[in-house]
Amino acid sequence: VRARPAAVLALAAAALLAGCGSAAPAASGPAPEAPPGGAPFLATSLVTGAGTWAVVVMGGSVATEDNFWQLFVRPAGRSTWQLVTPPGTPDNGGLVLAGADAQSLITGFRPSQYLTYTPLIVTRDGGQAWSSAGPLDAALANVPDALAAAPGSGTLLALTTDGTAELAPPGYTSWTTLATQRSLATTPAGGRCGLQDLTAAAFAPQGTPLLGGSCGRPGTTGIFARTGGTWHPAGPAIPAALAGQDITVRRLTQTGQDLAALLTAGAGPAASVLAAWSPDAGGHWTLSPALPLHGAALSSASFGLGAAAVITTANRGEIIAGPGSSWSSLPALPPGTATLAPGPGGAADALTVNHGTLTIWHLAPGAAAWTRVQVIQVPIQYGSSG
Amino acid sequence: MPGMNSGINVSDPAVVAAFKAALIHQGLIALLIFALVGLAWITLRVWLPVQAPGIGPAAEPPAAEPPAAAAGEPAWRQVLRIGFGLLWVFDGILQAQPKMAVGLPSQVIEPIAASSPRWVQQVVNWAGTNWSYHPMQAGASAVWIQVGIGIWLLVAARGTLSRLAGLASVGWGLVVWVFGESFGGIFAPGLTWMFGAPGAVLIYAVAGALIALPDRAWYSPWLGRLMTAGTGLFLVGMAVLQAWPGRGFWQGIANGQPGTLASMTNTMAQTPQPGFLSAWVGAFTTFDEAHGFAVNLVVVAALAVTGAAFLSGRPRLIRPVLIGFTVLCLADWVLIEDLGFLGGLGTDPNSMIPYVLLATAGYLAVARAPATATEPAAAQPAPRAGWRERLRVVAAPRTVASAGIRSVVSVGAIGVIVLGAAPMAVAQASPVADTILAESINGPSAPPVDFPAPDFSLTDQHGRAVTLASLRGKVVLLTFLDDTCSVDCPLIAQEFRQAGQLLGADTARVELVAINYNPLDTQVSYIQAFDRQEGLAGVPNWLYLTGTVAQLQPVWRQYAIAPPEILPAGSMIGHGDYAFVIDQAGHMRQELDFDTGPGTQATKSSFAAELTDAARQLLGHS
Repeated sequence: VRARPAAVLALAAAALLAGCGSAAPAASGPAPEAPPGGAPFLATSLVTGAGTWAVVVMGGSVATEDNFWQLFVRPAGRSTWQLVTPPGTPDNGGLVLAGADAQSLITGFRPSQYLTYTPLIVTRDGGQAWSSAGPLDAALANVPDALAAAPGSGTLLALTTDGTAELAPPGYTSWTTLATQRSLATTPAGGRCGLQDLTAAAFAPQGTPLLGGSCGRPGTTGIFARTGGTWHPAGPAIPAALAGQDITVRRLTQTGQDLAALLTAGAGPAASVLAAWSPDAGGHWTLSPALPLHGAALSSASFGLGAAAVITTANRGEIIAGPGSSWSSLPALPPGTATLAPGPGGAADALTVNHGTLTIWHLAPGAAAWTRVQVIQVPIQYGSSG
Repeated sequence: MPGMNSGINVSDPAVVAAFKAALIHQGLIALLIFALVGLAWITLRVWLPVQAPGIGPAAEPPAAEPPAAAAGEPAWRQVLRIGFGLLWVFDGILQAQPKMAVGLPSQVIEPIAASSPRWVQQVVNWAGTNWSYHPMQAGASAVWIQVGIGIWLLVAARGTLSRLAGLASVGWGLVVWVFGESFGGIFAPGLTWMFGAPGAVLIYAVAGALIALPDRAWYSPWLGRLMTAGTGLFLVGMAVLQAWPGRGFWQGIANGQPGTLASMTNTMAQTPQPGFLSAWVGAFTTFDEAHGFAVNLVVVAALAVTGAAFLSGRPRLIRPVLIGFTVLCLADWVLIEDLGFLGGLGTDPNSMIPYVLLATAGYLAVARAPATATEPAAAQPAPRAGWRERLRVVAAPRTVASAGIRSVVSVGAIGVIVLGAAPMAVAQASPVADTILAESINGPSAPPVDFPAPDFSLTDQHGRAVTLASLRGKVVLLTFLDDTCSVDCPLIAQEFRQAGQLLGADTARVELVAINYNPLDTQVSYIQAFDRQEGLAGVPNWLYLTGTVAQLQPVWRQYAIAPPEILPAGSMIGHGDYAFVIDQAGHMRQELDFDTGPGTQATKSSFAAELTDAARQLLGHS
């Protein structure tokens, strides 16, 4: 019996992955592989008073821990993006953002490799300086809305991988359990939904904590608001045409003075996506028309101020201007588009990734093609996580 | 597979040197065993004159053996005994290859098991983990056990010792078949005779079982028929399996990719080997890609015809197909199995030579059985002595003195097997990995030093102030850990925790101390989270110290460790890995590079053992 060459190569590769946080001398990185791996649905953008923020995964393969999530900001009133990834904290597991007040942003570092808890890093000046907070002594859920900050108080709501929603006041060192998937499922609101899992956490502009999930009962939306010490159903009513479909909350976030949600209805070829906006913490909702996914899945979903944009795994981009609007297809997305930052009037920025290079493409309102407007070289530290 | 891989470079000079040293050391002991046994034998022969020939295990049995045995060892048994004896010796020599000690679990056993069901992988992983904890002992043991069995088979032609040699071959063969060959891959997809199914050492075990048969069965006509029928049935089964559609053997190329056989031979051609052999295998691969159907047809037909001939049990039919089968096996051995033992990590010459030996023995058993089988029928065998009585005879000094040279060498071979098995058994009983793994990663321990360790005043995970001076009277094992590091620091913490467990009763006299190595996350809440993550929160002699950057920086500087580097773009803090051993008087006694390497179970255990050894030396234990 003899060893297989593949095994020899695998061991040789493993042997090269020694050292903690020390970058490999090779600057070119691994062989081409686009787009980089990871949990692509975490790629998203959001708008706060400081500007528009976007997270995308860059670098190389997940297998060699060369995937690094990056945070970019386009400061309010400006048209160019900046790399503002907090330094010194490993982010191979993904970044999750929560906008607090006008200039503050809290970044949760999903743990990877041997790390099992979630470091939290806060900026109060639009990403120029960062300071450590927390940590959350659990792994943040692998969803873009696993972290939410209450407007005003700054209280943080975190959704963990085991389906627990934890609350902490600023400082974020003292966490208390707000709910678990199981406890919420046993409430009248959760029972009516047949709550399967929790997929999003948010605060309404009024400060009400909300949780979103997927319902086992068809045609029911699993959005719950915590008011008066109890959980109440707070999701939109689903159109009759989709009443037989299972509904999953994919995004739940605050946009300006609205609460915004992105829902998927059904699965497989019949799946479709709906955007929804509520001005009163889930009391009333405006639903978008259903956007058929044609068998594809969502790879990124972003909210701007009112607008929403999605990318499907078929590399199709769709945008909706806001409540009362309809979905419209974007021109063919530039290769490697990781996420979109929707702007007003149908404008959008597309952030495309090729290893350590981020390229920004802009789509002006009504334009038929994307225009390349900026290129950012990110100093990826290949080999530093091995 | 967890634990299977020690993570060490298979050609690591420290490991290779240690393996060679272990082999030479045990080799000298093996020679000593033979010398002592020989000396004892010669001495007894001088002191106690041999009364009569034929007494003793290797001598001619006077009345206790059936007359059939008196006719001598049959040819079929000689073929099996000598053939498989040589194979075991050869396999033992292969086990002595420098890469084998560390490479066997990760590069031979693990890839073989990879396609097997999970339960098989778990069984194999258990053995692989044990091996990777003690690669020197395990590697050397495998050498001596196999060489010992081989020599034993070669020299013990008759009697109880010979039969025991067969049983030893069965036992060790099954161990290797289960743990080394993952049950010969019989539970994995793609099973085929051409690649060695159902496992070469299973054939060793079958041969061993035949060798272990009692003498009275040697000339039984039924034995020959059983052997040929068994071989025939197996070959027909393999023919059916080979012909089964949908397994990829009928296609030279399928969907633009090489078929199953071509894909396998293509892989084999890439292993290190002489150029001509690689060219042959490569040429066969090309041929198979072009004529895959014809190649498989020939193999299926050859297996079916050979199997049918063996099933018939007629020597006249078997003889010609045996020649053809031998040619087929040799062609398969060279062109498909690629000899099996090249590349530095080959453990045996694979299955074709064993098949030829087994088939030849089967033929000889039926071809020569009729002539001799009549002999035992004419005489009634004398009643056999009970095992107690026989043991008493063997143990008697006079019997030993009268034993033949073959018996003496057999006893020496048994000694060699014990020489191999004993250290392996002792090593496997130890839950602690050999420190050679840690040494291979970071080199041998630095020479001892003796100077006052720099003092520090920091805050522990409970918020209490701690100075180095406050730990006087205890051995301090000190390291520096980044609390958000996702790779090395958690591993070092696990190594410290494991060292604490290994210290046992000495735990109270040793303090395990880490100092924060992260200039960004210096809060107590972070080190508490790290402690919980690593299961250190409840460890009584564990201290994880932190402070402000202004407090930490001088400590990093005084301990002369690389300052932490805040890397951009999502990377963790850049830093080195260190461990320090400080004695009860606060003096620095050892400075260790502590790069964790691959962080496998074995390396973690090895580093823990290194720390434990260092602490125990200072505590007065060695």
